Amino acid sequence: MEHHLLHICLQSLKDNNNPPSLQALASLRSLIINPNTSDSTIYSILETLTHSLQLSTNSLTTHHHILKLLTDLASHRTHLSSQILNSIHSSSLLFTESTQIAAESLTSLASFSNSDQNKIGDQLFMSLCFAATSASARLRLLRNGERLGIGTHMLFTVFLGFTKDPYPYVRKASLDGLLGLCKSCDLFEGISVTEGCYCRAVELLQDNEHSVRSAAIRVVCEWGQMLIAAKEGNDKIAQSNQVFVQICSMVRDMSVEVRVEAFNALGKIKLVSEDILLQTISKKVLAILKEKNSHGQCTAERFEILASSYAGAFMHGLEDEFHEVRKSACNSLRIHTILYAEFARQSLSLLMDMLNDDSMAVRLEALEALHHMATFDCLNVQEIHMHMFLGSLLDSCDLIRSTARKIFKLVKLPDLKLFRLSIHGLLQNLERYSKDEADVFSVLFFMGRSHGNFAAHIVKEVSQEIEPVLEGQLGLDSARVAAFLVLAISAPLSQNQNGQIIPPRLFSYAVTLLGRISCALSEAVDQDTLLAYLSQCSRSSTLGAEVEVESLLPVVDDVVLTCTKKDVNNPVEAPMLQTGNETSKVQPVTSCELEYLATSIVECQADELDEVMKSVNLILARVRDAWLLVQSRCTNVALRALRDCKRELALLTSTSLESSGAMAFTLQYLQVMKLFAKIWEHAVWKIRSNETGGLEYLFGKLDMRLRELRYRYIGFSTEEELYVLELIAVACMLRLSKVEISFSPTTMKKLSAIISHIEILNDKGSIEPSNILMDAKKTMNEIESSKAGISCSLFLITNLDDFFTLKQFSLCSRVRHINAELNVPGNDSENPLSFCLWTTCGYTSGYYFIQCQ
Amino acid sequence: MAIECLVLGAGQEVGKSCVVVTINGKRIMFDCGMHMGYDDHRRYPDFSLISKSRDFDHSLDCVIITHFHLDHVGALPYFTEVCGYNGPIYMTYPTKALAPLMLEDFRKVLVDRRGEEEQFTSLHISQCMQKVIAIDLKQTLQVDDDLQIRAYYAGHVLGAAMFYAKVGESAMVYTGDYNMTPDRHLGAAQIDRLELDLLITESTYATTIRDSKYAREREFLKAVHECVAGGGKVLIPTFALGRAQELCILLDDYWERMNLKVPIYFSAGLTIQANMYYKILISWTSQKIKETYATRNAFDFKHVHNFDRSLINAPGPCVLFATPGMISGGFSLEVFKQWAPCEMNLITLPGYCVAGTVGHKLMSGKPTKIVLDKDTQIDVRCQIHQLSFSPHTDSKGIMDLARFLSPKNVILVHGEKPKMVSLKERIQSELRIPCYLPANCDTVHIPSTTYVKAHASNAFIRSCLNPNFRFLKRSKEENSDQVLRNTNSTAPLQVNDERVAEGILIMEKGKKARVVHQDDLLLMLRQKKHDIQFGYCCAAQLDNLEETGNRDGALSHSDKCSCLQLLFKELSTYFSGVNIQDLGEHLQVESFQVSVCLKDNCPYRIIDSPRKEAATIFYCCSWSAADEKLAREIISAIERFNLSDNLPCKNSK
Repeated sequence: MEHHLLHICLQSLKDNNNPPSLQALASLRSLIINPNTSDSTIYSILETLTHSLQLSTNSLTTHHHILKLLTDLASHRTHLSSQILNSIHSSSLLFTESTQIAAESLTSLASFSNSDQNKIGDQLFMSLCFAATSASARLRLLRNGERLGIGTHMLFTVFLGFTKDPYPYVRKASLDGLLGLCKSCDLFEGISVTEGCYCRAVELLQDNEHSVRSAAIRVVCEWGQMLIAAKEGNDKIAQSNQVFVQICSMVRDMSVEVRVEAFNALGKIKLVSEDILLQTISKKVLAILKEKNSHGQCTAERFEILASSYAGAFMHGLEDEFHEVRKSACNSLRIHTILYAEFARQSLSLLMDMLNDDSMAVRLEALEALHHMATFDCLNVQEIHMHMFLGSLLDSCDLIRSTARKIFKLVKLPDLKLFRLSIHGLLQNLERYSKDEADVFSVLFFMGRSHGNFAAHIVKEVSQEIEPVLEGQLGLDSARVAAFLVLAISAPLSQNQNGQIIPPRLFSYAVTLLGRISCALSEAVDQDTLLAYLSQCSRSSTLGAEVEVESLLPVVDDVVLTCTKKDVNNPVEAPMLQTGNETSKVQPVTSCELEYLATSIVECQADELDEVMKSVNLILARVRDAWLLVQSRCTNVALRALRDCKRELALLTSTSLESSGAMAFTLQYLQVMKLFAKIWEHAVWKIRSNETGGLEYLFGKLDMRLRELRYRYIGFSTEEELYVLELIAVACMLRLSKVEISFSPTTMKKLSAIISHIEILNDKGSIEPSNILMDAKKTMNEIESSKAGISCSLFLITNLDDFFTLKQFSLCSRVRHINAELNVPGNDSENPLSFCLWTTCGYTSGYYFIQCQ
Repeated sequence: MAIECLVLGAGQEVGKSCVVVTINGKRIMFDCGMHMGYDDHRRYPDFSLISKSRDFDHSLDCVIITHFHLDHVGALPYFTEVCGYNGPIYMTYPTKALAPLMLEDFRKVLVDRRGEEEQFTSLHISQCMQKVIAIDLKQTLQVDDDLQIRAYYAGHVLGAAMFYAKVGESAMVYTGDYNMTPDRHLGAAQIDRLELDLLITESTYATTIRDSKYAREREFLKAVHECVAGGGKVLIPTFALGRAQELCILLDDYWERMNLKVPIYFSAGLTIQANMYYKILISWTSQKIKETYATRNAFDFKHVHNFDRSLINAPGPCVLFATPGMISGGFSLEVFKQWAPCEMNLITLPGYCVAGTVGHKLMSGKPTKIVLDKDTQIDVRCQIHQLSFSPHTDSKGIMDLARFLSPKNVILVHGEKPKMVSLKERIQSELRIPCYLPANCDTVHIPSTTYVKAHASNAFIRSCLNPNFRFLKRSKEENSDQVLRNTNSTAPLQVNDERVAEGILIMEKGKKARVVHQDDLLLMLRQKKHDIQFGYCCAAQLDNLEETGNRDGALSHSDKCSCLQLLFKELSTYFSGVNIQDLGEHLQVESFQVSVCLKDNCPYRIIDSPRKEAATIFYCCSWSAADEKLAREIISAIERFNLSDNLPCKNSK
């Protein structure tokens, strides 16, 4: 067959007078793409195709077809690709009219083989480029220049030349090419080449096509940086300023894409002089700069014209209509803020205003910028900023609040008034969003540590509030009191705490909240160290040994300090601190009672799991009782009981993985039982009218839940697994019993698979199979033997009712729940992720994968 | 052909915008507004200037209205129904929807309140609106065979548009009022890069440069938040359209973010009706609102409720939007009377209030008492906050737009004269665009572009299709004079694509113009191509030559070569950066060629008689015009050379 086909096709190709028929070409193609075609056939095809490619008599279409076939051949037999490339190479000089096809096949061929092999000569590349009358061919050649292994110098020449092309897409492709080349820029000796390329890109900033303009901005930015790198001393700054100003002139473009690109580029240029930066955040031409220039290089008029071209560039970006532009502007502003104090001060007001933006992404970016400033210690918050700044602590978005708190950890406040405002803001945050507690405590701790004096003041003011309300009962529940205690215990760790003494009893109050506080401060200090520190401080006044506190201070301080340092490096997530020798030094000071307290807290946590298991098993026992109700036809009562169980389960809190696994399992189990109860009512008692649709729906849901129960938990004991399997079997039987739904062979298959699985488990554990399974197996066999669909009704409902009794089931092993959380940042109803047209998926998503195991 | 621009209103003033432009014979009226400051004949533009015979249907091709403000649309019913214009009127969909509301409202105020004689009736308004043809953004509408118009987004108010008009090859843009910075509910003006002969732009803020309004927004929010947190009531008197929606979005957003529960109220009436229009016309709002529309309509305010009169004295904080804006009467005055005496309350005023209104009194100083009439006095103890948001672009915006569009001429309207003069100067000096500011009833004539259609020969088209670039090296002195370029030295390396330069335009009498490729021309004229070459034979000193024994001056071939090589060596060291090629018989630099001249009477030699006594060697040089400068440099160098020292001694051989 193969040879026959080959013969026909080759005949057709060799016929010089007539062009090959489409049919012959199609069969050739089928031969080529069939992986089973023998090598010899492939070789003869290749030979013939190569031969006919050389024929000058061929028409354009024939050429096209042959090239296509060769490309196909190369893609399916990659080892031949270099040979094919050579043959095209040698022949392509022959046909200048079909440069487009030649370019197409060359570039696609280049993608199949390694770059070493597919070098087409510079000469050929050049001639193809110049012969290419169609823009698309030029586009292809330019885009694939690098892949075709063309020398850098040649590429540079071609790219630079084609920036003059009348077609905007070709201009864009050549600019993109130049951008790619700047990585291998060392190849170009002499600055004039770099300058030439840069200036050409600057010219293209005025292009009529916006895609060209944005590509030009990228080139100006990258090649501009090369120019900057080539200069020294004052020239370097002058050049840097020049590139910066050049890009600034693009921020008022009417195209969003161009504006975003411009602001991205502005962020890449470092080392811009302060005058220019200050001018970019003021729309008016600044008088001071005019004066400075008066003895400068250019006339006053020229200077003003020049300055007005970049005046207010950042302002325009920050008040842009499109959030992409605002975000980009915030981001690049951040880069420049840390260089100059005055600029930092002025741009701070702008960034604070951005906290009132309507887009969450922009607010977040502005906060990130503030955080950056705080990290580099140039964030000087003033009172007029506080309203907006504190407002972000109350933002309804979690991410915004947590980023705002990160800044508060680092911020340095000049006076007590601002400190008080900040503490007030944090407490409001705590009040409104209690889930933020741990983080707020940690912020308070850091703030107190860096503003000891202010913290002591505040604590003094609110000491009435902290004191026990009724006969020695602390307001432990009050997060507010706990927050003040955190502030109090942090104050002595501060360097600038002079003379303000925190009453020692506050430390002992804090000890009672040790678990809560140490959990919150886990990134700064571990529980043992904290306990040691607290007990030390609380005893200090009774013993009158202030010295001891002093001796302890450096220890804790050290711990905290190292941690803050790490925190600076990795502001997002400070690693848990491992305490080593320091703690052992502290241990002897700890009093026995406090030690006991500490250990009891830890023990308590360990016992918690047992507690949870106990209550879970109690709930499970009640499920069985509920099932008895179902069997006595009191479905509604049973459902209510199940709902009660669910509610009770929700009250349990879990702290460990095991307990949360058990709880998740129980919840799922309760849902399954509810579904069983509902189906039972339909299928067994037939109380409800036969709404097949509804029943089908319930079955579907039950299947889903059972599948989850089976697969989403690990660590079952054999009994537990058997139990789950049995439930699945029952569900299958229930489904089979409803003939009117459908008699499905799949369900039968599934049932038999489950039963055999159960048998294996039974054999392993030598457990007696339950009645219902015996019955099910028997019926299955009967159906098998009768081989008739009708007999499925043998699954008599009465059987089910008789045989199925819910066993007493309890969880004893450590069941773990496998779940993954997919967190897509920056996707909310305000700014939903946009979908790419061709990819069917969203972009810009980061994935955090947490496996609970 | 020329563009003729007759300004009927808003020339060196604000009010009754109306400009009649004639482009290539087509006559368009842009805007037809009324002046709110006059009650007499000056209220309307002087339409008689358009046509003495008052035959407007024939003298005008169409009327274009940019937006629904009365100073842009107010005179339209009068013009169509009273003056009798029946031609097409174009405006955007929102303007068509909202203009009758505004006109009707104005008519009512005029007739019912002031008791004046009405200029036009409700019937006039509805009949006038029937003649209107609506246009969409970026929709190109062919008014007739020659005239094409297109609307671009202008910001300013809902439905405001800039209009592009093109007749033949002449094109212009009339901006109407526009805003280059977005606000909370409207976007910034947006237009393509167009080839324009004329740009007519508003210049309300011809000298002001406005700072970011974020600071003002922040202060406003802080004031309102603090007031309601302290249990006070906030009164925001506004106009029904525009600012009310903007502030409401601002507050609603803030409420949502801060999780505030204090109610925000809208007094019933026009505002609620206006909100309905906003809800429908989402595509005319800002990007942010368009994006949110996928999930909810931003004008379905979550925290806003309708106000009921009984709530005026209800306890607890609230925020209320009430019309009219300047507390000149109506509901906002009623609420003001109730709320002003309490310190906890807050009243925010718009930036501008007409003299005589309560708003104006509150703004000028801080009065403790306001006398409404003989019987009523109001104690003012509440806080007062001023808030000026303007939907007009500032001078920077005007400059930015003019820079972006780069038209050939600019005309300024809709502004105050002294400020316009200073803006005019800036446009002329910074952008180098001629700028005019005609007064009312003035006419400005502007030359317009005319294009000649020409046939292109095949060879020319082919040469245009093929890439054909060359690299040029420029010396540093030739700097271009453009402002921005001045900052960087022009590149020494430049790309040149000669495709168009290779074409030659031929215009013969009685024939259509043609563009041909330069090769075609020779064929056409049946002529040969002549290249101009310059020639010069220069002398160089060569002392040692005498000793070679060739006194006759006939240098042998090898000597010739060695002389040439000598020169090559010298030139290479002298012009180190230049590519000099040694081609055996001659040296070549670009088009410059030099060879050893053996003739006694070289026609290119300027020296009268060859100086035989000294060992002089002659080099014949030729070059084409393009390399004139280079050639001069090389020649002067050669003449300076003294090659003798380096000459290898031939005798030793």
